[in-house]
Amino acid sequence: MSIRDLKGSRKRWSLVLCLIWFAFTVFPLYWVAITSLKTPPDVVGGPTYFPFIDFQPTLKAWRELLSGVRGEFYANFWSSTIVAVSSAVIATLLGAMAAYALVRFPFRVRLLSGIIFFAVAMGGFLFGREILGIAPATASILAFCVALALSVFINRFPLPGKVLENDDIVFWFVSQRLFPPIVVAFALFLLYSEMGKMGFKMTDTYLGLTLAYIAFSLPIVVWLMRDFISALPLEIEEAALVDNVPQWRIFLQIVLPMARPGLIATFVITLAFTWNEFLFALFLTNSEWQTLPVLIAGQNSQRGDEWWAISAAALVAIIPMIVVAGLLGRLMRSGLLSGAVK
Amino acid sequence: MTRDDPVKHLFLWPAFLVVLAIAIFPLIFSLANSFMSLRLVPPMPARYVGLENYADLLTQPRFWQTVRTTALIAFTSVAFQFVIGFAIALALAGKVRGVEFFRVTFLMPMLVAPVAVALVARQILNPTMGPLNQIATFFGFANLPYLTEANWALGSLIAVEIWQWTPFVILLLLAGLQGLPDDVYEAAELENASPWQQFWGITFPMMLPISAAVIFIRIVESFKIIDTVFVMTGGGPGVATETLTLFAYQEGFKKFNLGYTSALSFLFLAVVLILSLVYLALLKPYLEKYK
Repeated sequence: MSIRDLKGSRKRWSLVLCLIWFAFTVFPLYWVAITSLKTPPDVVGGPTYFPFIDFQPTLKAWRELLSGVRGEFYANFWSSTIVAVSSAVIATLLGAMAAYALVRFPFRVRLLSGIIFFAVAMGGFLFGREILGIAPATASILAFCVALALSVFINRFPLPGKVLENDDIVFWFVSQRLFPPIVVAFALFLLYSEMGKMGFKMTDTYLGLTLAYIAFSLPIVVWLMRDFISALPLEIEEAALVDNVPQWRIFLQIVLPMARPGLIATFVITLAFTWNEFLFALFLTNSEWQTLPVLIAGQNSQRGDEWWAISAAALVAIIPMIVVAGLLGRLMRSGLLSGAVK
Repeated sequence: MTRDDPVKHLFLWPAFLVVLAIAIFPLIFSLANSFMSLRLVPPMPARYVGLENYADLLTQPRFWQTVRTTALIAFTSVAFQFVIGFAIALALAGKVRGVEFFRVTFLMPMLVAPVAVALVARQILNPTMGPLNQIATFFGFANLPYLTEANWALGSLIAVEIWQWTPFVILLLLAGLQGLPDDVYEAAELENASPWQQFWGITFPMMLPISAAVIFIRIVESFKIIDTVFVMTGGGPGVATETLTLFAYQEGFKKFNLGYTSALSFLFLAVVLILSLVYLALLKPYLEKYK
């Protein structure tokens, strides 16, 4: 019993609010679930709500889907699973590392070396393509490496201009989220196809899609993890430092376990993004690594109003995430997500 | 922030490199393209045109129409998401009856693929066979054009956005509420502050930083909306519900007009950037006041 618990009529009204919102939340999911159990006449004949009462449920749509009569979907399911889970795990880990570095250590980046990176990368790419006549992919990779090396080197010198610190670097990460993904998706598609011409296949591969997902999850991961990590107490880490525990062990054995609630929340948010992502999957994959959302988006145009079949296909994408929501709820109940930092 | 150890670079660089190579570098590539006249179908050699693509877009009414549509969807849906989300987070933080159950179920929509949500919404909003039509018919409004008339279609898209993304607001605000210290409330209770006073005097100000962050994330994300629109209305009727990303998609992936699409994306970026700077500038005094 906490001081902030609701009492009396307030408690009743908030229950009413929650029940209304519950009905609104669950109805669409209920509807798609029962529609997948209906026969075509049941769907076309107007809305019916209760299985066994106003319509006779059937597993016909599911049988057709699972037996692959209406096209293969297992391949899409597995590629979705592999790409989504691995990119969410990697992004959470890399992002937590970066967030830890940004919370605990000072960084100094000169604005000028950032500008030099930008200018050299763009100029080098244009120069290579237009004047030296190198293939776009080679030109861009060369320009990228030269620009990066040059700007890191230049950063060592006391150049004039603003010095960017940790908060600016976090802002740089987060600002990536502002960029409309469509421009990057298309540019990546062009770059990947150019790399494919050089014999290094990136379109429709695990690596290509996963890299894109990691890059697009990292900004949110860094931002969320920075808040979670900066809320951790310093004392334990300092004690470990006095005992000369190496930094990577402090991170793995002290910081990560303490930040577990944050890590889990961040992982789930990232997983929801990578599992449901549509735009990148549409342009970076076509057959072998095509994910479920791309498959499902095509259903309506392919099948018109065959809602029973469309519902079953949509549920295949929905159910794993509902299971994840259940797991997350369990973790929250066991106190992992609330006040583990005490 | 006093420690310094070269190992810090090992922690930061992997993430930094991935973002730089996969997210920033293609942007530079596109920026270079946006000053070109470049087509894939039919293939045309690249030609430098300077700011022509940008000038062309800025004088096009269709571009401004998509900016208005996207902003309308984003601001309206985020306003509803925040108010509803805050109310529900408060109820959950105050241990409403059945809190464990609600916590789990309320998370679900945000985890469902937008593409699947849009397909479900199309069924529910179907003007003849859908359940919503049956309810509306009962009240005497049969066969409303939920997806085929401009204002109705916009309303439907906003409703779907609210359904899908309020859970995100609930999740983050609830985490924030649970992190608030109890002693402030104990003191308020001793002073006989009413729950209403406690909310405006303690909870709301203390939640302001996280609220600002949540609203910001949601607005930026809403501006990118494409999957839902793509499946539900396809931008129609006409171009009434066409959003910025959908417009870029139409130009880029149907007409393969690369230079033009890149320019469009950078204008899109400029719109979002201006909005976020205004937002942060407006909010700054309040955030500092309560720090």
